[in-house]
Amino acid sequence: MTSPLNREALLQAYRTMRIIRDFEERVHVDFATGEIPGFVHLYAGEEASATGICMHLNRKDYIASTHRGHGHCIAKGVDPVGMMAEIWGKATGTCKGKGGSMHIADLEVGMLGANGIVGGGGPLICGTALASKVRGENNVGVCFFGDGASNQGTIFEAMNLASVWKLPVIFVAENNGYAEATSSNFSVAVDNIADRASAFGMPGVIVDGFDFFAVYEAAGEAIKRAREGHGPTLLEVKLSRYYGHFEGDQQTYRAPGEVQKLRETKDCLMQFAKRVTSRGELTMADIEAIDAEVKAMIDASVVKAKADPLPAPSELMTDVYVSY
Amino acid sequence: MSSSPARPTRVGIIANPASGRDIRRLTSRASVFPNAEKASMIVRAIAGLQAAGVNEVLLMPDKGSISPLVYRALDLKGPSTEGQGVRFLDMTISETIEDTLTATAAMRDAGVTAIIVLGGDGTHRAVSLRSGQIPLLALSTGTNNAFPEMREATVAGLATGLIATGAVPGSAGVRRNKVLRVQCDGRDDIALVDACFTGHEYIGSRAVWDSAVVEDLFVTFAAADGIGLSAIAGQLEPVSRTAQHGLHVRCAPVGDTPRRVHAAIAPGLVAEVGVREYSHLVPHEPVLLTGRRGTIALDGEREIEYDSGSRIEVKLDPNGPATIDVAATLTYAAQHRLMRGYVGDAT
Repeated sequence: MTSPLNREALLQAYRTMRIIRDFEERVHVDFATGEIPGFVHLYAGEEASATGICMHLNRKDYIASTHRGHGHCIAKGVDPVGMMAEIWGKATGTCKGKGGSMHIADLEVGMLGANGIVGGGGPLICGTALASKVRGENNVGVCFFGDGASNQGTIFEAMNLASVWKLPVIFVAENNGYAEATSSNFSVAVDNIADRASAFGMPGVIVDGFDFFAVYEAAGEAIKRAREGHGPTLLEVKLSRYYGHFEGDQQTYRAPGEVQKLRETKDCLMQFAKRVTSRGELTMADIEAIDAEVKAMIDASVVKAKADPLPAPSELMTDVYVSY
Repeated sequence: MSSSPARPTRVGIIANPASGRDIRRLTSRASVFPNAEKASMIVRAIAGLQAAGVNEVLLMPDKGSISPLVYRALDLKGPSTEGQGVRFLDMTISETIEDTLTATAAMRDAGVTAIIVLGGDGTHRAVSLRSGQIPLLALSTGTNNAFPEMREATVAGLATGLIATGAVPGSAGVRRNKVLRVQCDGRDDIALVDACFTGHEYIGSRAVWDSAVVEDLFVTFAAADGIGLSAIAGQLEPVSRTAQHGLHVRCAPVGDTPRRVHAAIAPGLVAEVGVREYSHLVPHEPVLLTGRRGTIALDGEREIEYDSGSRIEVKLDPNGPATIDVAATLTYAAQHRLMRGYVGDAT
């Protein structure tokens, strides 16, 4: 059984989800001003997935993320202040302002990187998992991908390889129902992505992505299984994104009121706060203190990002190529 | 076979597209039951129903898991299938348990005389919450179920049709099941097989697979060769579906009690369970539980979180849902020559 969550863990879970939410809500507002360069794909609504999974990981475990990577980064321990600067393209950013939203990486905390290549994370995470296995270490790799990427050959190849080599990998299909503007009901040939697991000889499990506790528990079992040498798992996390595929997406493919209803009835932060306070595990004062602290931190991160310098022209060719 | 009765006979079919995909695929060796096979089972069941004289079959729709396969297999034309004997209910699909509840209520309101259910214990529990006195044909779509049976759907459809049309009387082919009625702080719920009080603090991923968290287990019946939590009771004292009583097992950590039992609590998972004591559960006599904190799993899935101040009552009710006994129904049909036909005058 997955370890019960004590008060500190509950506070950590809420704080992480709140940071992700506020970070994304702020980027949503600021991107509309036209000041942020590049493209952003927001993770708001999906916080319970990244948080419930990454709370089981340590700094030596790796994750491979997606174009919708901010939540994964924050949950894995990347500094949100550096991330904000990175998104604003500043020299103080996590990747010195050269990566932007879709290439935030921080190997120090086991974050291989957001990834603009749909389905690109699967083969990468097999590499880290193989390295861990060959070295006799006990680390696992988590590959996040979406319902669109679930149809990509790279993901199939990675799942096959991970199963054949019994690699400590957890494939996390974050199924938010849309690959860009295409409904997964239309584009995914099976009704559940988790059903594909059996074709690769691994267990496949569906979990409610609005429920932190459901994700936390299922991820705990999958990660424990991987650490014990029993091989990969496919977790399908059913959830929804609150914003468009990218900022500026008009979302004409979604039903009117769809997101509002989710926010009002299923929101993961709302459910979490209601549950832990009704059971007396945390108080509303605990929740409000985190809300205030996080808001101040995000506000400050934006002020700093705006004021920070751009990369110098002389930095144009540094950190771009790696010599092995 | 006799010709179809003048009054249309309607039967409902509910197949849960989500059954067989929970965390037990990870924590045990439970298999994934493909939805393509569920669709095939529906088609085969319809063949049996129609052969028995059922005029109209109502199906629960879904968002593309099972229904398109049924459409294709039966060569149904267009969104409206009126006149073809098979019709999908017009309802909003939420992809939650609400779909099963809504579909069952709609079938009940449409006057179905039987419902075929394809799913696990949890699906059958959901249908039973709304089906009232309508007899159910309980078909298992997985390896981890106690209430429904693994049966060929054609035969199941035939038996259901014979009951639904009245060719076989309910007294010969329908049996009444026991049910556990659970009350917790004003909430009423049921379990068809088992109600398990666990040390899990959250509903979380719902399933119960760790025998160490099992504290109190109530069962309506317990087969010695069963699978799931009721197998714990089944290895202590088997209780048949038709017995008057159920069983209440008080479990304990293995190290705290000399009495232990080994039971198959999930596919591929045989657990050693410590048992403090067990006793018969007498119909209508409530058992009160207080002073603890945890979750209540109904038919294997955590459904209710409770606190130390909660007032919980469990009661065995012999008047649970009715189910169709396939063997008894078809035996009656054979004994009364319902399935025989003759060419020419052979009376």
